[in-house]
Amino acid sequence: MQQISEYNRRRIRMGIWFSAPAVIVLLTVLAYPILASWVLSFLRVYFAGQGLSFRFYGLTNYTELLTNQLFREALLRSIYFTLVEVIVVTFLALIVALLLNHPLGRHAFFRVVLLVPWALAPVANAVLWKWIYNANYGILNQALIGLGIIDRNIIWLGSPVLALNMILLADIWKAVPFIALLLLAGLQNIPSHLYKAARLDGANAWQQFQHVTLPGLKTTLIISIVLQSIWALKVFDLIYVLTKGSPADSTVLLNYLSWRVTFSNLDVGYGAAIANVLFVLMFILSLVYIRALRPRKTKEKVG
Amino acid sequence: MISYKHQLSRFFVRMGLAIFTCVALGPVIWAVVTSLLPLTALTSRPPDLNPLNMTLENYGLVLDSSRGLFSGLINSFIIATFTSAVGLVIGSMAAYALARLNMPGSSLILMMILATQMFPGIVIAIPLFLVMSRMGIVDTHFALILVYLSFTLPIVIWILKAFFESVPMELERAAAVDGAQPLQTFQHIVLPISLPPLFATGVFVFIEAWNEFFFAIILTRINVKTAPIAIAEFSGQYQTLYGQMLASAVLASIPVVFLAIIFRRFILEGFVEGAIKA
Amino acid sequence: MATLELIDITKKFGAVTAVDGFHLKVEDGEFVTLLGPSGCGKSTILNMIAGLEDVTAGAIQINGKTVNALGPFERDVAMVFQNYALYPHMTVEENIGFSLRLRKRPKSEVQEKVQRVAEMLELEKLMQRLPRELSGGQQQRVAIGRAVIREPSIFLFDEPFSNLDAALRIKTRGEIKELHQRLGVTSVFVTHDQEEALSLSDRIAVLQAGRLEQYGSPEEVYLRPATKYVARFIGTPQMDFFSGEFIDKEGLRYKVGEAEIPVPTLTRLPEAAFDAGVRAEFVSLGQKGFDATVRLVQPVGPFTYVTVDWQGGSVTARVNGVSHLKPKEHIKVDIDPQGLLFFDRATSMRIDIL
Repeated sequence: MQQISEYNRRRIRMGIWFSAPAVIVLLTVLAYPILASWVLSFLRVYFAGQGLSFRFYGLTNYTELLTNQLFREALLRSIYFTLVEVIVVTFLALIVALLLNHPLGRHAFFRVVLLVPWALAPVANAVLWKWIYNANYGILNQALIGLGIIDRNIIWLGSPVLALNMILLADIWKAVPFIALLLLAGLQNIPSHLYKAARLDGANAWQQFQHVTLPGLKTTLIISIVLQSIWALKVFDLIYVLTKGSPADSTVLLNYLSWRVTFSNLDVGYGAAIANVLFVLMFILSLVYIRALRPRKTKEKVG
Repeated sequence: MISYKHQLSRFFVRMGLAIFTCVALGPVIWAVVTSLLPLTALTSRPPDLNPLNMTLENYGLVLDSSRGLFSGLINSFIIATFTSAVGLVIGSMAAYALARLNMPGSSLILMMILATQMFPGIVIAIPLFLVMSRMGIVDTHFALILVYLSFTLPIVIWILKAFFESVPMELERAAAVDGAQPLQTFQHIVLPISLPPLFATGVFVFIEAWNEFFFAIILTRINVKTAPIAIAEFSGQYQTLYGQMLASAVLASIPVVFLAIIFRRFILEGFVEGAIKA
Repeated sequence: MATLELIDITKKFGAVTAVDGFHLKVEDGEFVTLLGPSGCGKSTILNMIAGLEDVTAGAIQINGKTVNALGPFERDVAMVFQNYALYPHMTVEENIGFSLRLRKRPKSEVQEKVQRVAEMLELEKLMQRLPRELSGGQQQRVAIGRAVIREPSIFLFDEPFSNLDAALRIKTRGEIKELHQRLGVTSVFVTHDQEEALSLSDRIAVLQAGRLEQYGSPEEVYLRPATKYVARFIGTPQMDFFSGEFIDKEGLRYKVGEAEIPVPTLTRLPEAAFDAGVRAEFVSLGQKGFDATVRLVQPVGPFTYVTVDWQGGSVTARVNGVSHLKPKEHIKVDIDPQGLLFFDRATSMRIDIL
């Protein structure tokens, strides 16, 4: 029979008290709403007078999703947005990380440069680019005309495909610094003796990159890609400030759609359904995240 | 004797660093410059960038209390500070419990924490809004702080747990032998040596809470406008007042950028490594 | 002042049994060492005595009272840790006085006691320093001071010297011994260094894999080891063993190959098979004895240890002063029968008198 000493008994008791506040907050503000969201998506919610009334709606909200053209388009746009952002950001961030890992790039100044775009509020970022994209006075048009690349002002946020991609650009600009930081940390975790060994074996810079850098960065890259995808799916502030979905709903992405449906159209059940779809998408991504991190322990030891 | 190839690569690296710096800081600098110029200078073609025209009038106009930016800054400050402070207190306690105090069910809680990082805010925003409107706490500081805690607590716990686990067990045992109860060990021994990560995490939470927009527009109406909301309104309502629009954005960004720069070492080390270890 | 008794102590970590049915009794004021290699369970036992580790089964009694459920402070024990575990953000003064301040003792009392302990350990000049500003030896004295100020019933030491260099170890060893002579507090000391155990202890508990092999005074474990394991573990250089058999030929003899050694210490022919062991100080080289070839010559100052190969395998002789023997030389090795110890080949236990 195990007798637990007072020392350990006290610690367990303290553990429960210590974690209680945090657990309570998380349970009420996270766990409960997540469950509620699923319930809501099976209901149709009416605003009757002062309060709400609910009517069971079955899967109607979800079938609505499948047939609704706007939803489909928003879904496709979100996927497009995420794919392009992840690819471009990872590529650019890798270059930046490599630059900052180089002896010339080690100065603290560059790290500060990285932090500034990261620290900006997404809304502030949106305002910034709204000004840059301004058709009449924005610097983008001014510069392009000045350089002779275009001869007339382009209304960047005015045409469907263009607007979406300009939003993409703004998000990419903000995202690259942080991912670069992640990758930089990953780069610095690669033991330098691996490079020395490769050099001794006659590998040139490109080969070293291929066989030492990339494998060593594998885990960090996976983490960056998954994190970046999740953030891309959450894009909201940019849409709200720059286009509010226009022109003609061409910049409506899933997260924004869910918000608009719920708080503008007041179709709460439908909005919850869209939110849940988004949730599932991200959940799958996080599973990829967890899976990709597990076999790490056996593979990274090689070399 | 630097080889030609070596010199060439150094040239490219320098170029790359220069381009990177321009691209990263360019828009920001342009925003600041814009905010310092009067409207007439901005709307002339080409824009009149004469430094002699620079003025603080945009800032003055923007801080005029009827525009909501000033109160927005105050509200953001209150909310961010409280979120940070409360988050640190209950987060560090939970982190310590998970790290050291053999909590039953700790792996379950950890899974929960991991899961919270990976879903869209809209999922919880809708139910929360419904409940909070019924409870009548929509448009209060309390509501926002509570919600912000929900997604910053996991980060606080994650980072601090990793740190507490690195505190040698021997230290806590010595304290126990000296007669310290677990709370006293936490207070007198563990916390004092954890000041750097505590600071870093606190600053990080402050920045996240300050910059948050989505829940802010859902859960507030008139009383508790935060800085991001004020900026967004500016960009809608007064969007042709370019200088002021940018001035509001700059004003709302100065505190967080400032904090990020001062505490950069902590943020860089703590958070980035935490993400890797996760 | 206290007596300590461990009754049938067992400790399991999941499926692994670290300590199994361990018994120990420490008298009031005794200095007892738990001696054994890494992983033998000695630190686990110490932590259980301290109350830092739960006991799976068995009882720990201090002054006759079972203390299993009590925490370390309530048991009135103080501990010196392997890595000192000094509070890094506190000065030496604060470190030592911590336990008193926790109990909210008046400032004057704290100051006076801290001062006294500091003087005892020659730490007066270092009071305002932080631990990272101290040398290893100084840190250790602060750790001891932190324990001493508690005026506990029992002192516990968890391999406190392992982080010190050789010279400092021996010096600090002496200081601990003096401290014990002065304060007379019951002490339990854990180490893997047998020399340390021999020089410090009133009694030594030799452990292997969570079990007690022998519990006796330094003289007992050295001259009369209970098992082969103890015999091998204690003493520098290690005891040499060889296999042979007893024969009766004008008295009892032990035959190794062609060599026969008289055995005056035993009177009767034993029944089981036995191995023999002998320490270097009972082995001599010269013109008398059995044929041998020199293998290794290791001078250590006052002696030289010469290892030779003979019929029983290899054996080390202790030669006074410097030896001029060279490897591969032929010499004769003589084993003093008084130094022979016999161990049952099957049970590894030593036979005493027959």
